[in-house]
Amino acid sequence: MQIHLKTRNYPTFAAAMMLCACPAWAHAILMGASPAAHQIVSGKTVPIKLRFNSRIDGKRSKLTLLGPDGKERPLIVESQPASDTLAAKAEGLTPGSYVLRWQVLAADGHITRGEVPFKAQ
Amino acid sequence: MASLLDIFGFLSVLLRAATLVFEALTVGGVIFRCAIARDNVSGARGLARCLIFSAGLLATVQAAYVGANSSILMASTGLAWDDVKGAEFCISGALTIAGAAMVAVFALGKPPLGTAACSIGCALILCGAVMTSHAVARLEHRWALAALTLTHHLAGDAWIGGMPYLVLSLRREPDPALAGRFSRMALISVVALAGAGAAMSAFYISSAGSLTGTAYGIMVLAKAFLTSVVVLLGALNRRALQRLARDSAHRLGAIASGPLRANLAASLLRVRKFAEVEAGIGITILLAAASLTSSPPAIDVQADRVTANEMADRMAPRWPRMETPRASELSPATPLPADLSSSMPGSFVPGEQVQPQTQADIAWSEYNHHWAGLIVGAIGLLSLAARRAAWARHWPLAFLGLAVFLLVRADSENWPLGPRGFWESFQVAEVAQHRLFVLLIVAFAAFEWRVQTSRVPMDRASLVFPAVCAVGGALLLTHSHSLGNIKEAFLVELSHLPLAILAVMAGWSRWLEIRVSPDPNRFSVRQAAPWIWPVCFILIGAILMNYREA
Repeated sequence: MQIHLKTRNYPTFAAAMMLCACPAWAHAILMGASPAAHQIVSGKTVPIKLRFNSRIDGKRSKLTLLGPDGKERPLIVESQPASDTLAAKAEGLTPGSYVLRWQVLAADGHITRGEVPFKAQ
Repeated sequence: MASLLDIFGFLSVLLRAATLVFEALTVGGVIFRCAIARDNVSGARGLARCLIFSAGLLATVQAAYVGANSSILMASTGLAWDDVKGAEFCISGALTIAGAAMVAVFALGKPPLGTAACSIGCALILCGAVMTSHAVARLEHRWALAALTLTHHLAGDAWIGGMPYLVLSLRREPDPALAGRFSRMALISVVALAGAGAAMSAFYISSAGSLTGTAYGIMVLAKAFLTSVVVLLGALNRRALQRLARDSAHRLGAIASGPLRANLAASLLRVRKFAEVEAGIGITILLAAASLTSSPPAIDVQADRVTANEMADRMAPRWPRMETPRASELSPATPLPADLSSSMPGSFVPGEQVQPQTQADIAWSEYNHHWAGLIVGAIGLLSLAARRAAWARHWPLAFLGLAVFLLVRADSENWPLGPRGFWESFQVAEVAQHRLFVLLIVAFAAFEWRVQTSRVPMDRASLVFPAVCAVGGALLLTHSHSLGNIKEAFLVELSHLPLAILAVMAGWSRWLEIRVSPDPNRFSVRQAAPWIWPVCFILIGAILMNYREA
């Protein structure tokens, strides 16, 4: 939710010293992605690899792919090649824009979400 | 569902902060009972009751945290409880709950069984804490970092968690030997805490650029500053205790006499009241620590670090913005969670701002901050003037103006300026929080106005204002603007952090002014306190008037 907050709405509450804690699910962050953000890929099948800054619980993480038709489909998370990495395969790609959505559970219990937009040709 | 996830997310951060506080009170309470109040039989039951209460709350908030986090995970991944219960945060939660339950059950137990059981309980709690720290999630130096984290927690719990028990013990019985033992333990704890903290910083921060250019780095700086304030107060208390011990030794034969006994009681009363402030700021440090645990370590944040030049440019003094754009010029309202096609409540690509601000949005926000700064600055000046001019004692009423201003302008997408109606806007958790805070501002402005104008006696009622300032500052300290350390969000946070620290300082200096009588014989922090909090308000006003988002 907090990414939708606009700073004009950030309260001048600071003035009254009464701002409240907001969610800060920001521990596991993406260190590298394949395909990279805004990369153009070719072929119907594209291997996906996401590397994070911390150990990830792959069994309790999820990957979905938002296609050019606006439909979102889950991707099967493969066995982790390393404790900080998630891998999957995006199959049956047709030309267009895709958004890879990820949600990971870090070893310290934090849940982080993110997106990697890319294009297929 | 997105709305529920949002509320759970908000709750989870608060629960994490509460977990840290009650962990400190539980572990610190056990250490205090075993190592400090060991032969103080008269207060043992009172301390044990507090310990049971703290341990009970620790178990409760930990259960709530595991429940909230599990619910988020199950709702967002479609996993069942059977799949989630093996997650590391569930195991660490179970350890913490078991440890807290052991402490609660055996808190009234006699040594050696009671002491041994409580110690095992504390070990379980600390294991649970380390399991959800940054250390265990690291790929490199995991065990060294886990050992440092354990040391940091243990030392912090003994020191900060023990302070409220010191206050309680001294209230029950002014015992200089007990205060002296706590002071010695606090000294050792501070050394261990700072040593472990510095070593962890070497791993997690590693460079000056990441110390000042990331959210994690500046939170560590804020924590270090507040710790140094508590250490300063502790050092003053330690000196007072040493002086007391010297005086007592000189007049050992006459210690039982009436005037000396009264002098001893008065000195320890002073120590106790300073310890209240130490405990309050200490708990604020724990809240800052909760915020730290949910931020990525600075060493991992490579993109979008803010340089010294960028900070200097943003902070350079400029004339406040006194003209507002029209509400119609602002970017359209964000769809409510129910309107979103996806159940994802928020997502980000590190280094990429999903919803950029328009010039009008920025101008609107800056105008809000600048006017709020004017009001808060005026409050600081009026509170100073109130010492000479009776009419200025009505300064708390200025907060009412601030409350109205915030109600109207803080959430421009909502009633009364935006398209969302009054009740509809409560679906947005942030707006609901703001409305609640407007109510709180009105309530505490009315309260302080009655105190300042002598409509209520200067007793506990007068502590409401400093308490609200200190709590507000502490909550602002746990607030995080940054996801993936987006540069602009970090720069906004950079201005909010000093506000939080100043609010904490204002609250506790006012508390000190009310609680401790001035000592005409020597200059101390108490003499400076009546000046510190108005100056803090003036500085908050100045920072807000210079607030910028571009």
